[in-house]
Amino acid sequence: MISVLIFGAVIGGIWALVASGFSLIFGVMRILNFGHGAIFVASAYMAIFVSKICYPLSLPSALLVGVLFGLMFYTITKPVRENEVAVIIVTLATALLIQQILLSIFGDRGLTMQPLLRGVVNLFGVRFTVMRIFSIVIALTVLIALEVMMRTRFGKKIEAVSEDFESAMLVGINVERVYIFVMVLSSILASLAGYFYVQIFSVNPELSLRALIYAFAIVILGGLGSVRGSILASFIIGYIVALTITLLGSRWSEFVMLLTIILTLIVKPSGIFGVEE
Amino acid sequence: MLRCLVALLMVVGCVGAEEIVVGVIGPMDLPEGKAELRAVQLAAEEINEKGGILGYKVKVIYGDTKLNPSVASSELRRLVDEGARVLIGGFSSGVMLAMMETMAEEKVVFLADCSSPRASAKVSENYEKYKYWFRISQNNGTTFAYDLADMISFLRGKGYDVKRVYIIRDEHIWTEDVMKALKPLLDDMGVEVVKDVPIPRGYSEFEQLIIEAEDMNADVIMPILAITGTDDILVKQWATLKPKILLAGHSLAAIDSGFYNRTEGSANYMVFIADGGALVTAPPTERCREFIESYKSKYGHYPESHQAYGAYDALYIYKLAVERANESGESDPFDPDTVVRYLEMFNESNPVELTRVIAFTSNHDLAWGDRYVRNWISQWQDGKQYIIHPKNVANGDLKLPDWFKKEEVKTPGFEIAVALVALIALALRRR
Amino acid sequence: MRVPLIYLAVGAILYFALPDSYLYTLGFAMMFACLSASWDLVVGYTGQVNLGHTTFVGLGAYVASVLVTGRIGFSTDVATSIAFSILISALIGVAFGAIALRLRGYYFALVTAILPLVFMQTVFVWSDVFGGEEGFSIGLEKGIPPELRYPFALLLSFAILTLLLIVVESRVGMRFMAIRDNEELAESLGINTTQYKIASFTISSSIAGFVGASTVFYRLTVAPDLYGIDLMLLIILASVIGGLGTVYGPFFFGIIIYLLKVLVIREILQTISLSLSDDIFLYAILILTAIAMPEGVAVKLRSILHRSS
Repeated sequence: MISVLIFGAVIGGIWALVASGFSLIFGVMRILNFGHGAIFVASAYMAIFVSKICYPLSLPSALLVGVLFGLMFYTITKPVRENEVAVIIVTLATALLIQQILLSIFGDRGLTMQPLLRGVVNLFGVRFTVMRIFSIVIALTVLIALEVMMRTRFGKKIEAVSEDFESAMLVGINVERVYIFVMVLSSILASLAGYFYVQIFSVNPELSLRALIYAFAIVILGGLGSVRGSILASFIIGYIVALTITLLGSRWSEFVMLLTIILTLIVKPSGIFGVEE
Repeated sequence: MLRCLVALLMVVGCVGAEEIVVGVIGPMDLPEGKAELRAVQLAAEEINEKGGILGYKVKVIYGDTKLNPSVASSELRRLVDEGARVLIGGFSSGVMLAMMETMAEEKVVFLADCSSPRASAKVSENYEKYKYWFRISQNNGTTFAYDLADMISFLRGKGYDVKRVYIIRDEHIWTEDVMKALKPLLDDMGVEVVKDVPIPRGYSEFEQLIIEAEDMNADVIMPILAITGTDDILVKQWATLKPKILLAGHSLAAIDSGFYNRTEGSANYMVFIADGGALVTAPPTERCREFIESYKSKYGHYPESHQAYGAYDALYIYKLAVERANESGESDPFDPDTVVRYLEMFNESNPVELTRVIAFTSNHDLAWGDRYVRNWISQWQDGKQYIIHPKNVANGDLKLPDWFKKEEVKTPGFEIAVALVALIALALRRR
Repeated sequence: MRVPLIYLAVGAILYFALPDSYLYTLGFAMMFACLSASWDLVVGYTGQVNLGHTTFVGLGAYVASVLVTGRIGFSTDVATSIAFSILISALIGVAFGAIALRLRGYYFALVTAILPLVFMQTVFVWSDVFGGEEGFSIGLEKGIPPELRYPFALLLSFAILTLLLIVVESRVGMRFMAIRDNEELAESLGINTTQYKIASFTISSSIAGFVGASTVFYRLTVAPDLYGIDLMLLIILASVIGGLGTVYGPFFFGIIIYLLKVLVIREILQTISLSLSDDIFLYAILILTAIAMPEGVAVKLRSILHRSS
């Protein structure tokens, strides 16, 4: 039981970082960034690449990838922001393009890097790697920091923009700057998640779509645009996956997860914390 | 617009007459497909330098299966349309089974890479329809079971007692065929399969499985993996958790000579069986050693997967068959039905030594055994692959992981648990 | 209504003019065109961003091939299995439409994006029935005879093109467009918008199911790629470049894009022996088109011609 608790939390923690950013972008900018998973994977690859040259630089370089990709996605979605179909196409095609490029550079086989922390801890009679525990701690810390930030003055500005960007503009908020900030921040969260993911698992280019699917599932469950909802939903999804693996077997894990999403939709189409558009 | 299109199509369809076209088909984004294509290109260059096949220059074209049976079928059709007289490649049983239908429709010789016994079973069930198909890269999948069972008895012979095995395998038809043959063999040896876990492609949660294997007192975690693509995560989590369980089985990724580096050394001490009967570190024939070296000098690295040996042999054995057909006065030595008859002459009493010793059985499988092709039992040791069994090819000996001897070091788990609880409490208060 | 007839005539001429191997690919392109044109009905005409069109392609294909091969204990003939595919696609279309069409805009897009993934998972979970990752073959004997494949695809695409044109030019089609242009206004005019949206979704899904089932008999194999994101993206690409809300655009650009992808781009890559995936080019084209002219190449060209004349 304790093992399910921890394993679920690790999966949940990592996906919470991905999904909260995905949801934040929607909440503020009203666009869906289908390229979010690509940022996650590209950062992980960058970390592996840099770790071979200089290990301590791997985290900063992964985050740098997040910043750059955030700016890139901001730029390419800017001209089409009003057009739903165009936004989806542009971001999805960019994501697949990045995936193909990664494929031709690094190949299809998974790559991994040495974890930051080694060793095994014994918690209540079950052995876990230190890295797993550490990543839960970091994920929680970052998510709390995100909450705290939303309460500062800048956070209030973001909230104002997300509620009504025209009025926000009228009271003198630089909306574009808020957009850039949100895009970059969300991308950094995805990068961080990618960094911790590759510490525990390994990455291959296909993971980019997988990460996106998890993000979809989570925001649908938690409610589109609600960061808090997506954090909660991430842990629910994490536990569903861990429990299904333990109880039903691995092949069921994603099916049960997606089924839960569909069932949630039938009962409450806008998700747990979602607001109707 | 349409006329342009038609003109374009016509141009695309042109094929020269002075050459013999060879089609390589495989997943071109994967090392398996790349190795196949490169090996065939290398063989074609060598053959062309020496005057081609019966004076015809060999031209290599390729199709990408994308590991998808439908794409594969239409790619196969395209290669035949573009003039391919023989096909080399494949990879992955399901893709192969679909391609065999198109092959039968197009009647083209196919020297194939796949391990499923269902493929050669088709040849014996409906010989006239499927006779164009030959297995060249590796043995029939059921022989993997002999190799795996042999591996267990080898470990026992070395004093590592194996009573309980925890199996992690691809959720795929090829492993089901292996399991069907492996179960009775293990039963005979008194080995219990404590759990048999099929995993889907891209599965990553091995820590849970390793801990479960530990709880079940397994002696060996036996992967039977080729397409899951996450062998590296398994190895990494095994090396981090350091259970007193040997990791020994079939892992396609582990055969790759770059596996040790890609897993940052986690692969150390992993025991695996080497498909395709050849390893870079221990070539079974002189021809194989030469091939490995010329591959290295042409492409700058060793073959990226064992499929290279099969693909290289395929073009040469095709050449041999065509030439013998010609010597025997066949009117059209390239005729597929004729080529099939001459390929069949390379049987167990008349094998041909290429990079491996090749002989076909009556249902077009590769002959299995120490004299022909089999999967050598091998181990990763400090960055190198060693064959550790059978004796006639072995160049190393079994080494147990160093952590098997040491006492477990107690780590401070309590502090971390406290910190975690504190953080969660903090998070809740913030809400 | 002249265009479908011209299409049929040109298709018939090509049947005698082209070698068999290209007819096979051209037939595929025609069936693909039906998918992009039927997708246009929901997205271009009714204004709902549906990312789950391939759900019904895959569903139709699997229903037909499971029935015709008797993998669940009983088997049916080809016609019945296709009829069942259409029926089941329509039923799932109605049921899912009724749930999901309560959502709007991006919500609907996200939810429909999840749908094919759910169905794709069923293929892995019940792999003994659906054949898992690599699907299965229905066998040469059950398929359309090779010499009839192209005529079949031509007639199928002609029928679907005609059907779609009839729908969009009818009063129902007008109401779809009214919903797309302004849903509140449409509602205030007494149009039951939800019902019409479900109707449009269901028609589109049934066509996808029909084409999916036909594809199986055409290419003989069924595999999870029919649910896949690559197919969805190609549909989007063809429709967007062809111009949403025109039927003709997605249909004819469907054929062109498919042939470009399968024949031309790969040929270029092989000649310059670049070991790149052909998809990279498609994605790049897609991004550029969507940014530069989201209304579609065909529509853009027409407006440029208009201005210059």
